[in-house]
This record gives sequence, structure tokens and C-alpha cells, in this order.
Amino acid sequence: MFIRIEPSSSVPIYRQIIDQIRYQVAAGILKKGDKVLSVRELALQLAVNQNTILKVYNELCRENVLKIERGEGTYVLAEQHTISTQEKRDMLAGPLRQAAALAIQLDIPLDLAAQLLHSEYETILAQRNSLSGGSKESPHV
Amino acid sequence: MTDTAIEIKNLHFSYGRRKVLTGVNLNVPKGSIFGFLGRNGAGKTTLIKTLLGLQKSSAGTATILGMDCFAHALEVRKRIGYMAEDQQMYGWMTVGQIIRWVGAFYPNWDNAFTDRLVDMLRLSKQTKVRALSKGQNSSLALLLALGHHPELVILDDPTLGLDPIARKDFLRRVIDLLQSNGVTVFFSSHLLYEIEPVADHIAILDDGVIRKCGKTEMLRETVRKFIFTPKPEADLASLPGLLDLTVAGDNIAVTLEQCDAQTRHKIRELSQTAMEESALNLDEIFEACVIGNKTPAPQPAG
Repeated sequence: MFIRIEPSSSVPIYRQIIDQIRYQVAAGILKKGDKVLSVRELALQLAVNQNTILKVYNELCRENVLKIERGEGTYVLAEQHTISTQEKRDMLAGPLRQAAALAIQLDIPLDLAAQLLHSEYETILAQRNSLSGGSKESPHV
Repeated sequence: MTDTAIEIKNLHFSYGRRKVLTGVNLNVPKGSIFGFLGRNGAGKTTLIKTLLGLQKSSAGTATILGMDCFAHALEVRKRIGYMAEDQQMYGWMTVGQIIRWVGAFYPNWDNAFTDRLVDMLRLSKQTKVRALSKGQNSSLALLLALGHHPELVILDDPTLGLDPIARKDFLRRVIDLLQSNGVTVFFSSHLLYEIEPVADHIAILDDGVIRKCGKTEMLRETVRKFIFTPKPEADLASLPGLLDLTVAGDNIAVTLEQCDAQTRHKIRELSQTAMEESALNLDEIFEACVIGNKTPAPQPAG
């Protein structure tokens, strides 16, 4: 499990970790049944207070993303597709809000901004497909 | 039994006529890692000296584990560990000798435990203290503070002068050796970004008083900066929890603590334009708490 804390971010540390784990499940990097590090192990790896990690795991358990098996460890409970469309939208909304604010500040009209998003999306998708040689389909949500 | 490890009430201290602490209030919950922040010269070490019972306060009280720090200094010292910034130890002694030397002062010193710590901290009993690197020196100082199983450990800027890797190593030890065993940690530093990941609570000392105190995550979640154009008659000084106010032309930027829906509503009333709200990073929060300008500058002419 790779987690990176951005010290200069204005997002609290526990929120940064929650977002990254949830993202990793939604992106299929963490799969159902995978064992994640214990509270103590992750706290040590990140050099972060154990109560912070405990708070992260408790919240993710409440959301049924993780499951703590007493005495055994903590496992991924959610499957990639069980992360709802709504949650995925929420993950995307933050960066898009920033982009929208920037577009307004720079006086870029909505249709041009949408066009830019469209071409960035297509470029990345094309790069991915040429790397994997796989399907040309867009991901469906 | 009380749940408080350190309790400081209205503490004052002066060196002659120079007032260093002017009414400090602080509660350190048992089992917590408490980050104690301030710029160099803010009074951090003065407060720690008072906690160690080395000096009597001019007014107010400081208690550790329910005992007065000055009146019961000896009893307090049995139950706490202390590590100084850049701690100097006898250079001609070996690591093994200094452990035996310090251990002799404590009736409940645990030799088996310190032997385990020597291995865990990758020290060697044969090394002379003067030959240790800065990182090893801080490991040894930590070991010497822990050998008698203290309930509370006071760390005074323990990572000063350590490189980033040794610093992170040190923080890991605080988590693994102290937090895991329920030891309360009072950790002073002048670096907010260093203390944030490990601390449950944070207090910021400046100019002899505590400017801000609370759970660590509160710091980032409740401090907000707003940029807007105020109405001409707006009374900005009345904004609750004002930490900093800067004027740039018609626009002003205010940094507020404990920001909630009510605060936002109030700003919308004072503003004649849309407001722009942003969260701050730790350096910005620290700066606003410590050197924030709280008086509205006169409106620029024209």
C-alpha cells in the first residue's frame, strides 16, 4: 500500500490518507480481500500518529471500504465496482472545481474549458491504450 | 484519578523585569502526543524548566500527574523522562558507561529494557559518546530518558540539528516506543510541519501566551482565509477569531480561526462582492497565529 502525505497541502493528514485508500479501491489497485497494513505498521511507515490511522480505518470501515477482523488484521471489503458512481463523482468534483475557478479567473469560456478537458481525456486514454495495446473503449461509469 | 498529565493554570514567569510567560493555560491529556510550538525565543524552554521544577513561577500553577512541579520536584522527576535539545553528555564515557551512570540515579531503572533499546536503536555499548553521530546522540538521549519507564516524557526540540532522515526515524521511535506504550509525550518544536503528523494536540506559544490550542486536525479544518471587497462601513475588527488582516487596494484578505457557517454569513454581509475562500497550509497557519496583523489598516485614499 503506497500512501504519500503532502505536507504543504491544506487538506488534513487523515483526510489525505482516506482519500488515497478510497481512490486505490476505486481504481482497482487495492482489491477485495487484500490485507492492508495494521494501524501500527502504517503509522510507522508514514511516521504518523497511530490515532490518525485508527481514525482513518474506523471511517473506512463505517463506509464498508475496509473490514477489521479482530485479531487477524484489516482487509479490503469493497470491490472496485461497489464504489458508487456518486462517490467517484465526488472524488472528481474537487479537482474540477479548482479547474473551473481557474477558468473563470482566466476568463476562459465554458465551451473552451470543456473542449480542453475533452482533449486531455482523449490524449491520456490514447496513451494508455497504446501502452496496454488493449481495448479502445472509454471506461464506463 | 485524573486524565490530565500536565495542567498549567495562569502561569507567569519573569527574568528580572523581562516577562517571558504572561498567563499560560494548558492541559495535556494522558496518553497523548502533545505538540508544543513556538518560534525560537517564544518561551518554550522557560516553560519546560518550570515543568522540570528548576524554577518557581511568579504566579499561577503547574502540575504534573497531579503534583506541583516545584514543591514535589523530586517525586515528579521519578515519573517523567526528559530529553534536551542538542543534549550534551560526557564525551569520554562509552554508551554502556553512561547508561550505567544515569541508571544509578533511578531506583526503578530497567537494565534489561535499556539493553533491548541499545539493540533497537542500533547503538553499541562500546562506542565513546564523543564518537556518536548527531542521530545516534539523539537516540542515546532518548534511551536515557526512558530507562526508568516514565509515564510522561518531555522532549525539548529533540530533532534540532538532525537531517530529514534521522528526524523521521526519531518521530517513528516516538510513535513506536512511547505512543504504543501509552506514555504521554510533550514535544516542543519550532516546526509545525514536523509536529503535525505525530501530534494529537497542538498548542502554539507566542509572546508569553498560548495563541492557539486544540486537536491537530482542527488547525487545518477551521482556519480559513477570505478575500473580498468590504463595504465602506464594514467593521472588520468585529470579525470573530481574527488572526490576520491584509489590505491590497480595494480587496482585503482576512484569516479567521474557528470558521463556521455563521462566520461565512457575517463576511457575506460585510462584503460588496463575491468572496473567495481558501484553506491554508501549516506554515501559513503558524504565521497567521504568531505574526498576524489584527488591526485594519486605514483605507487607502481615492
